[in-house]
Amino acid sequence: MTRRASSKLGSYAALSGVGLIGALVLGRPELVALTAPFLLALGVGLALATAPGLQADVEIDGRAVEGDEVTARIRLSAGSAIDRLDVFLRLPDGVSVVEGERATAVRLARGETRELELVLRADRWGAHLLGPLHLRARDALGLLVAEGVAARTPELRVYPQADTLRRMLKPRDTQLFSGSEVARRKGEGIEFADMRPWAPGDALKRVNWRASARRDELWVNESHPERNTDVILFVDAFAEARNAGAGTLDLTVRATAALAAAYISRRDRVGLISFGGILRWLERGMGTVQLYRIVDALLDTQVILSYYWRNVDVIPPRTLPPNALVVALSPLLDARSVDALLDLRARGYDLSVLDVSPVPFTERPAGGTDEVAYDIWLLRRDALRHRLQRAGVAVAEWDGEGPLQAVLEEVTAFRRHARLARA
Amino acid sequence: MLAVATLGGVAAYTATDGGPLASVGGTVAVAGVLGLAAAVLVRFAPLVPWAVGFAGAGYMIGREHHRLVDGWAAVVGAALLLAAELAAWSIAHDRRIREERQVVLRQAGALTLLVASAALVGFVLVGAAAVSASAGLALTAAGVAAAVAAVSVVLRLLRG
Repeated sequence: MTRRASSKLGSYAALSGVGLIGALVLGRPELVALTAPFLLALGVGLALATAPGLQADVEIDGRAVEGDEVTARIRLSAGSAIDRLDVFLRLPDGVSVVEGERATAVRLARGETRELELVLRADRWGAHLLGPLHLRARDALGLLVAEGVAARTPELRVYPQADTLRRMLKPRDTQLFSGSEVARRKGEGIEFADMRPWAPGDALKRVNWRASARRDELWVNESHPERNTDVILFVDAFAEARNAGAGTLDLTVRATAALAAAYISRRDRVGLISFGGILRWLERGMGTVQLYRIVDALLDTQVILSYYWRNVDVIPPRTLPPNALVVALSPLLDARSVDALLDLRARGYDLSVLDVSPVPFTERPAGGTDEVAYDIWLLRRDALRHRLQRAGVAVAEWDGEGPLQAVLEEVTAFRRHARLARA
Repeated sequence: MLAVATLGGVAAYTATDGGPLASVGGTVAVAGVLGLAAAVLVRFAPLVPWAVGFAGAGYMIGREHHRLVDGWAAVVGAALLLAAELAAWSIAHDRRIREERQVVLRQAGALTLLVASAALVGFVLVGAAAVSASAGLALTAAGVAAAVAAVSVVLRLLRG
C-alpha cells in the first residue's frame, strides 16, 4: 500500500506554523491559543498513525449460470490497528450486488481478520474479472492515508442460460460414427427403409417372412443406419446491435450454447467458428468435454471493431469439413459476414442461417427522413434474406422473444421445401 | 451544517466582542464562514484551512486594542479545530460507502476527545500567558510545543 499525507496534514501544519509565527511577531497570546489545537491534532495524529500492514484477498466460486447467485468473500487481515478501512470492490458489467455492500468502511483491531460477504448475481454471460479490490486505510485523525489494490482479481465464468431443444436441423449428409440421425443410405439400423430380394450373405433375422410368403421367394428388410453428423456453429462476431444492456451477441451466444448442447446430446460432432474481428475456431468433437470447450470459447466471444476484409479462406480447412451442416448465427449487419455466408453456400456447404434480429434493439425514429431511412434499412434486411434464400440457404429470423425451437422448425420447413423444389 | 454553525459561532462572538474593530473582525470571520460553507457544498477540501484562517484572523482583528488576554480564546481555538474537523469529515463522507457503526462512533469519540483536549491545552496556555506575561511569548510557545510533543511520544509508545 502507498502511504501519503492527507491534505489535512498540510493545512494543519500551515495553520500551526502561521499561527505560531504570527503570535511571535505580533506578541499576541491568543494566537497561540488558536494555534495550539491544530498543533495538538498534528502531534496526536502523527503519534497514533502506524503503517497498516494489511492483507486482502477476494474469493469466489468461479462458475455460474446466468441468473445464478454466487457469494464473494473479501478477506481482510490487519497487522496493526486500522481505525478506518474503506473497501471497494469494482464489479464488471453483467454482475450485480444482491446482498451486502461493495463499498464499506470497517475498523480492524491489531491482528484481526475479517471476512465481508457479498452475494452477487450473474446477470450476463461472460468471463468476468471481479475487482480490483481498492483499499484505503486512514489513521484515527485522518492525517495519513494508505491506499492500495489487492493483487488478485478472481474470474467468474458465467455460462449462458440456454433453451432446451428437442428437434434439431437435419443435415444433408451423415458421418460414419453411430448417432441419433437416421442416415439416407441403407445399412445396419433400426429404421425401416425398403425391401429387396434375398441375396447370399443376408442375415436370417432380416428376412421379412410375410412378404416372402406372398411372393414365394425370400425377401429381406433394408434399414437406415443411425449415424452422427458434423455440425459447425458459425458465429458472426463482426458487429452487434446493443441497447439497454442487451444485444444480438447475447442472443447469439445463448442460441449457440443451446444448439451445441442439443447436438452433442445426440452424439454429433460439433465445432465452432467465431468469425469476426478476431477469428477463433474449435475443431469438431463429441461429448461433454467438447460442450464445455465450446461454451468456454463462447464466453470469450466479443465484437471487436475491425476494418480488415476477411473471407472464408482464412478459416482452417480442417475446421470446416465439406459434409458438415453449417449453422450460422448472424445479425446480418456486416457485409463481410454476409459475403462469407454466400461464399460458403457457393462452395456447396449445407448452410442454414439464424438471423438474430437487431430490430428489437433499435428504436424507430419519430418521423421525417430518419423514419424513411429506418424503413429502407428494414426493407434491405428483407432483401438480404431473400438473396440468401435464393442461393438455397435456409434463413429464419429470431428476435429473442419466441422460443428458439420455433425458429429451427421454420428453418427445417424451408429446407424441406427447398429440397422438394430442387427435386 | 455543524461545522458552519461552529464557525458561525466564532464569527458571532467576534462581532459582539465590543472592541473598536469588532465589526471588521466579524466581517472577516463571516467571510471565513461563507468560505467553509462553500467548501462543504462543493466538497473542496483545500478551501477549509483558508476559511478557518479567515475566521481566526477575524477574531484576532476583533481583539485588536484589547489589553487583556481573552479567556475564551481557548474555546475559540477548539471551535476552529472542531469546525475544520467536521468540514473535513463532511467532505470526505461518501454516501455510497456503508460505514459500520463502530467506525462512526470511534471517529466521533476521537474528535470529541481531541477538541476537549485542545480546549484544555488552550485554557492552560491562556492562563499561563495571563499569569506570566513577563516570561515572554516565545517561551510560552516553546512550552506548548514541548507539551504537545510529550503527549505525542506517550501516545506513540502506548500504541506500540
